[in-house]
Amino acid sequence: MRAVPRPPLPWGWAEPQPPVLVAAATAGARVAASAPARRCFPGRRYAGERGSRRWRRHQGAQALLRVVRAPRGEQLLCEASTVLKYVQEDSCQRGIYGKLVCTDFKIAFLGDDESALDNDETQFKNKVIGENDITLHCVDQIYGVFDEKKKTLFGQLKKYPEKLIIHCKDLRVFHFCLRYTKEEEVKRIVSGIIHHTQAPKLLKRLFLFSYAAAARNSTATDPKNHTVMFETLQDWCWELERTKGNMKYKAVRVNEGYRVSERLPEYFVVPTPLPEEDVPRFQGHGIPMWCWSCHNGCALLKMSALPKEQDDAVLQVQKSFLDGVYKTIHRPPYEIVKTEDLSSSFLSLQDIQTAHSKFKQLFLIDNSTEFWDTDIKWFSLLESSSWLDIIRRCLKKAIEITECLEAQNMNVLLLEENASDLCCLISSLVQVMMDPHCRTRVGFQSLVQKEWIMGGHCFLDRCNHLRQSDKEEVPVFLLFLDCVWQLVHQHPPAFEFTETYLTVLSDSLYIPIFSTFFFNSPHQKDTNMGRESQDTQGKPLNLLTVWDWSVQFEPKAQTLLKNPLYVEKPKLDKGQRKGMRFKHQRQLSLPLTQSKSSPKRGFFREETDHLIKNLLGKRISKLINSSDELQDNFREFYDSWHSKPTDYHGLLLPHIEGPEIKVWAQRYLRWIPEAQILGGGRVATMSKLLEMMEEVQSLQEKIDERHHGQVALQAEASSLLRASARLSSLFPFALLQRHSSKPVLPTSGWKALGDEEDLARREDESVDVGDL
Amino acid sequence: MELGLSFSVSSSLSHYPLTSPSLYSLPTPILSSPQPLISVSPESLKPPKVAAEVILDPRGGEAWGLTLYPSQLSGPKSVQGSRMPERRSRQLGSCMSSGCLPGEQILAWAPGMRKGLEPELPGTLICTNLRVTFQPCGWQRSQETPLSSEYDFALVNVGRVEAVSGLSRIQLLRPGSLLKFIPEEILIHGRDFRLLRVGFEAGGLEPQAFQVTMAIVQARAQSRQAQQYAGITLSKAGQRSSSRKPPIPLLEILEDWETERKKQGAKGWRVSTVNERFDVATSLPRYFWVPNRTLDNEIRRAFGHFHQGRGPRLSWHHPGGSDLLRCGGFYTASDPNKEDIRTVELMLQAGHSDVVLVDTMDELPSLADVQLAHLRLRDLCLPDSSVAEDKWLSALEGTRWLDYVRSCLRKASDISVLVTSRVRSVVLQERGDRDFNGLLSSLVQLLSAPEARTLLGFQSLVQREWVAAGHPFLTRLGGTGASEEAPVFLLFLDCVWQLLQQFPAEFEFSEFFLLALQDSVRVPDTLTFLRDTPWERGKQSGQLNSYTQVYTPGYSQPSAGNSVNQKLSVWDWDLRYSNEQILQFHNPGYDPEHCPGSWLPRQQPSFMVPGPPSSVWLFSRGALTPLHQLCPWRDSPSLLAVSSRWLPRPAISSESLADQEWGLPSHWGACPLPPGLLLPGYLGPQIRLWRRCYLRGRPEVQMGLSAPTVSGLQDELSHLQELLRKWTPRISPEDHSKKRDPNTILSQSC
Repeated sequence: MRAVPRPPLPWGWAEPQPPVLVAAATAGARVAASAPARRCFPGRRYAGERGSRRWRRHQGAQALLRVVRAPRGEQLLCEASTVLKYVQEDSCQRGIYGKLVCTDFKIAFLGDDESALDNDETQFKNKVIGENDITLHCVDQIYGVFDEKKKTLFGQLKKYPEKLIIHCKDLRVFHFCLRYTKEEEVKRIVSGIIHHTQAPKLLKRLFLFSYAAAARNSTATDPKNHTVMFETLQDWCWELERTKGNMKYKAVRVNEGYRVSERLPEYFVVPTPLPEEDVPRFQGHGIPMWCWSCHNGCALLKMSALPKEQDDAVLQVQKSFLDGVYKTIHRPPYEIVKTEDLSSSFLSLQDIQTAHSKFKQLFLIDNSTEFWDTDIKWFSLLESSSWLDIIRRCLKKAIEITECLEAQNMNVLLLEENASDLCCLISSLVQVMMDPHCRTRVGFQSLVQKEWIMGGHCFLDRCNHLRQSDKEEVPVFLLFLDCVWQLVHQHPPAFEFTETYLTVLSDSLYIPIFSTFFFNSPHQKDTNMGRESQDTQGKPLNLLTVWDWSVQFEPKAQTLLKNPLYVEKPKLDKGQRKGMRFKHQRQLSLPLTQSKSSPKRGFFREETDHLIKNLLGKRISKLINSSDELQDNFREFYDSWHSKPTDYHGLLLPHIEGPEIKVWAQRYLRWIPEAQILGGGRVATMSKLLEMMEEVQSLQEKIDERHHGQVALQAEASSLLRASARLSSLFPFALLQRHSSKPVLPTSGWKALGDEEDLARREDESVDVGDL
Repeated sequence: MELGLSFSVSSSLSHYPLTSPSLYSLPTPILSSPQPLISVSPESLKPPKVAAEVILDPRGGEAWGLTLYPSQLSGPKSVQGSRMPERRSRQLGSCMSSGCLPGEQILAWAPGMRKGLEPELPGTLICTNLRVTFQPCGWQRSQETPLSSEYDFALVNVGRVEAVSGLSRIQLLRPGSLLKFIPEEILIHGRDFRLLRVGFEAGGLEPQAFQVTMAIVQARAQSRQAQQYAGITLSKAGQRSSSRKPPIPLLEILEDWETERKKQGAKGWRVSTVNERFDVATSLPRYFWVPNRTLDNEIRRAFGHFHQGRGPRLSWHHPGGSDLLRCGGFYTASDPNKEDIRTVELMLQAGHSDVVLVDTMDELPSLADVQLAHLRLRDLCLPDSSVAEDKWLSALEGTRWLDYVRSCLRKASDISVLVTSRVRSVVLQERGDRDFNGLLSSLVQLLSAPEARTLLGFQSLVQREWVAAGHPFLTRLGGTGASEEAPVFLLFLDCVWQLLQQFPAEFEFSEFFLLALQDSVRVPDTLTFLRDTPWERGKQSGQLNSYTQVYTPGYSQPSAGNSVNQKLSVWDWDLRYSNEQILQFHNPGYDPEHCPGSWLPRQQPSFMVPGPPSSVWLFSRGALTPLHQLCPWRDSPSLLAVSSRWLPRPAISSESLADQEWGLPSHWGACPLPPGLLLPGYLGPQIRLWRRCYLRGRPEVQMGLSAPTVSGLQDELSHLQELLRKWTPRISPEDHSKKRDPNTILSQSC
């Protein structure tokens, strides 16, 4: 151990006690040799005198080390001083000097001048991750700039770059200039960062565990969290009861202790007549698992496909097994079951991956000139990424299934290879649309818990947290959040949570102090949590769940996650089934018979009549042709729903036409200063709204007081919104650092854009298509 | 008869109010006013036993009309044309005449079924000399809204007309073309992006279908040839009140200009009467603002050196001291003497040492570009567009419309920073000074003056910068059939909408107001949008009395009967809209805290920095370049050839002076601009499609914005306040629970 105790670090890291030096992570031996690591003492306040100038100056340091409440057990791996962080990659190259550090939790930049942070605009601070912090799992790509050339950095480097560019998965981009840093520090920090973010990791080396170990003795923080975790049989029974599914379905404990399969949760729900001894035959494959029951008794089921076998004999066995299963669920009381094979007739994971990697490039801006150059082609670039189209297809599929359940009274069985990717996506989307409970915050969290966490979605692989295979990295969950965002955006009053909630949820995917998104299955979590080895440790690890929002946000900031427009369901209906009354209404107001025979404008229909080649003919035929029946059902359902006023506590369908699927601006644009509209955006209406809500509330209170003589609810503090009169459209993520240079909008493209097809000429067309 | 025409009036009535697509600009209130245009009774629909060939005489338009007004119901003039049973046509006529406007004649009608929108409606397709209207069975026209935004298509508004028979026979009907078959369906494309599809029933009524189709084609052709915007006063209210006060100053009299000048605090300026008789320029208003120190005869001479005589005038005086001017291009052929040059320079400088000339057309689309983009957009947005869903975005981009919108916004935001940051004179120069100058100058005012964002302020702004300033509305909107059609004004409205959706709390007017304004552009009601110049508008409304010196050949004083009410303008909203609709013009989200009044210190504001002594700049390509002289004539004759584009194009340099010279703070957060200034976003993702406007033809695209929620809350608020005021200790519990349930209020408003 060559490490020498250093003088106390200028930014107050050092403890009054002699620091305990430990070797750095074993994985990076070279790094460890040159960079002795220090342990941050859990639960101790560092020794900077509070209020002193130094203390003020190093608020940033505090942001990193907020030792009191934030990551315990964090270890410093390497650091470099006099690093210049560019504020904006533009011609003026302004920046701030500071220290770049890499710990086993995050990469952090500690600026020398943090005065900008002192203002109140940053009240929506994340307590765990500061503005200049990047968790190791959040790092997407690292680039180095060598002599003005940008190269991807990986593996061992021969030469060290003068500039480091880090692209994050939450779409932040950091530029660090290393020109003024000592050479050895550059070597240490660059190779350290590369190693710790890109080399494959062992699960046990996740920061999660050191954090949990450090926090072991602290009191559990889960005071008022009503999210149903679906970790016990009772949770499932409760859900069955809530959806009135307990007549036809039963919760089983076959898999207790993961005896049957490690892919399945310990408890799950199957059709009542299904013999429990059937479940273990193919480790749970081929068993219809209950997801949710509709008000009319129809259920959404999912099933993982049986393993592919070459052997005829085995195939025969499989076939007869499946026949038996199908017979069970086709008999009364189940009536018809429609099987929806998601792995063959729907999106492939590959599609999603490609689309997302194209899509995110639109927002990862290295340099603003480049950005402005591509801005003129924004829509076509957006379209060519086809991310929005994928969202549309997901929503459409969910509507189709909703139509089966709601209008045709059919059970739907989703089929996928492992039933853990698109199955989760589609079934949770259907539930968000059909079940108003899933649009409350607790309901939504329970839904994620049920369908994704217990459903065995491989978060570890899909987010590539361990850097083991890039191929497996598919943002399915993010796609789900984006689909939900479309719904939230289109029907804001129907949701108890806001888009900000969805955004911070998507950010939480990469914070390795929450166990929620860092395991592939409940089994993996349980085995690694040390439940089995209780005797050695004395107490199981205490892992945090992401649903405990108080870990990340102060109560004040948490008000931004709650939608002020949301109106709770009137209490009168509590006993009643939600959809019932509502469906009744809808049917009554349907036009009686006309619509069935009416030719519909086909959005989703292929052109069938190839004879009609003429443009005019095509347009007309599109109006007049009638499409095949299946599409017609869908269309009719979709159209008739949208022609009625929306009941926010009933069925909710999104618009899926081209102009209606939008970019989730808050998540994707929030780090782009140019996209900021000062004093504008939805926030402007929102603050007005809050003001009025408060007024309404206080008036109601007054009336209440007079009437009942009792004190009503406290008006919610919306002080965050009210604090400043002029918020930016990017609130609460605003940077408030829009620089003044106004790049020239390229106009040269106008003329080049295609020969002007003569629109006037078309006016003259008189076509008799019959002659063609 | 029983086949298709047994309309069940009751059923269509019962679900109509609920299901009518709300995206039509303004929800038409269903009032019980018993004024149906036609109420079809089954026996009145006996098929006329007429052969179509006989009825039609395509060349003589008059031959087949049914003249139903004035009160005397005269039969069709053509003898062959009328074999309609006397009884029936009389019955029909008496029903119609009550709903008709004075001067309106019904030309043809046929029963049909409206298609394409939910629900399908049975009704009657009627063609008059003013409009094509689809009258659903049992629908009653509200007295207050003489033009329904859902069922009426003014003839001006009718674009392409297509007749369809079966799947295979489609004919596009141009003026003068003869229909080759009996149509089963007719498609009328509105120029306002609506589409009317009416299917005709089989069963003996085919000749009528044929007749009405041809009538529409001919009426449209005639309305275009004759330019007969005699103006039909649409509502009874308008006819009655001949001496009503205009809702906003129309800027046709001297006092209006003087009041406005005082309001703006433009001390160094006066109202010039030099154009009182329109002899300086017919396209200029009679009065305008010029610097105090210039004499009228100097102005007359100086204006002669500008294109179309449109010399520099004050557009707006910024309370901080800057002036925004607009002028036409320098007239190339003229050879001004030294004194004239001095006057021109004096007028451009307007007493400031710092002058910025803005080349308006730089980086903005040409008129032809705008027109093409608009056509493409219409093609894309009509419900029968053949664009696949997943190609929608690139198709939208391909129209270029949104690009033009954003280049306008960008330029306007640059100019407003120029105006706000220092005390200077900013001159917008466009060759014609009648299109984009108006657009930019209005946008700049919207961005920098909260007054302009109020309902009244915006209307006066449009009146001043567009109507009075002589924007050629008739030509640009295609009224004359000339090739110079370009919807610059609609582009402007789109820009305003973008501002509205980016700054939802800063505007007193709502999206519905913009939609109403957009709709009014194609309503042949008042003269506001139906004339090219203030002079033409004035002579039509008979304002120019004896002292008019301009010779007007063939112009006769309009007879009292069909003339437009002189004082009526598009701003008399109650002519066309009901009170409920006008209430919706107000933006419920408007935050009165940001209201005008004390928004800017009137005297010597601290954020304004005086410019360097006598510097002249050219603003072009987003950068400022120093100029040696203001006028092109003095010693560089080579520049004369380029007219308004005489200004030298600077090379684009990254070292632009803009940043420093604009005095922009390096960080917005650190040194905020004055609170009244809006800086719009013009990034790709921020510029949106105005869906309520352009996609109104599509039944499936309708979105509840949060606006109804706000208004719902407002209703609740006033309700509660009311309740509290009236409160007595004996409120019954039922009342209480009712009002406690905000859900009902919210759902009502959505």
